[in-house]
Amino acid sequence: MTRDFEGKTEQDAINQAIEALHIEREDFDVEILDNGKRGLFKKANVKIRVHIDSDSDDEKDSKPFIPSDDSTSDADYADDYDQEEEEDLEPNEELEQKVCEFIDQMVSHMGYESKTTVSSRKGKKVNLEITSESSSIIIGRKGKNLDAIQVLANVYAGKIDTERKIIVDSEGYRLRHEEQIIKTAYRTAMQVRKTGRSRLLEPMNPYERRLVHTALNDVTGIETKSEGEGLYKQVRVISKRKRY
Amino acid sequence: MEKELVEYIVRSLVDQPDNVEVNVVEGEKSTILELRVSPDDIGKVIGKQGRIAKALRTILSATATKSGKHASLEILD
Repeated sequence: MTRDFEGKTEQDAINQAIEALHIEREDFDVEILDNGKRGLFKKANVKIRVHIDSDSDDEKDSKPFIPSDDSTSDADYADDYDQEEEEDLEPNEELEQKVCEFIDQMVSHMGYESKTTVSSRKGKKVNLEITSESSSIIIGRKGKNLDAIQVLANVYAGKIDTERKIIVDSEGYRLRHEEQIIKTAYRTAMQVRKTGRSRLLEPMNPYERRLVHTALNDVTGIETKSEGEGLYKQVRVISKRKRY
Repeated sequence: MEKELVEYIVRSLVDQPDNVEVNVVEGEKSTILELRVSPDDIGKVIGKQGRIAKALRTILSATATKSGKHASLEILD
């Protein structure tokens, strides 16, 4: 038996299949019909075809999970949404030029060379790209140098124009990193759902935690909560299934 | 070198760049940079929960040092 599903991500499509057919992930094979990749920033829905073994329709597991009831109990999750829909501001070219120059000067004082340019703008956000031969140092371990540059660039930009938010990237690190976070989150969610045991993800900043909460929001059978203090909290993935 | 880096960044961030002063204390294995700014600007170099100070220290530790010495930053008030 085969059925086709469509979702924002491969995982999303698989989850829809699990929910619609009341089966476990182990009971079917997934064939990807369309991976939805339309270049770096454009993504279409992922289409999958689900192949189900005909002998796996035993009734005992037919409803293993309660559908998610949309109550996501997380403080930093609630105010995560309002950043989405906003008008694009007029580009502030003076600011952009000054911030790019500030970054390049800073990098040059660090002993490296770089060229910073504006790659895109959205809403309040100005995305900057640092091109450098030493990009691995600019990014740093787990992106910590890139984050530090971004913090300083934002303080500097705030002196000129308080409306803008500067995002600094190099070699597509942020996108790669985000995909990695979401992948790890899904993998953990699947494990939690299978074992019923909660798992703690590594410490993340508010933006990264938001990615996890949003990504796991449509996964049934689990919920997410942030734990800890300060900027870097940890997300705990908890099973909603009752354990006996 | 590290002194110029810290001076450049801090002068770009504060309101009173003329009052930024960096003192270098050379040790055997490490260099200590003592940063002094105008009292009104101290919040600008530390930031909420020390975010800016932390970013400054991260940048400092990523700096290419010919001497191979470790540099640390102290903010004095």
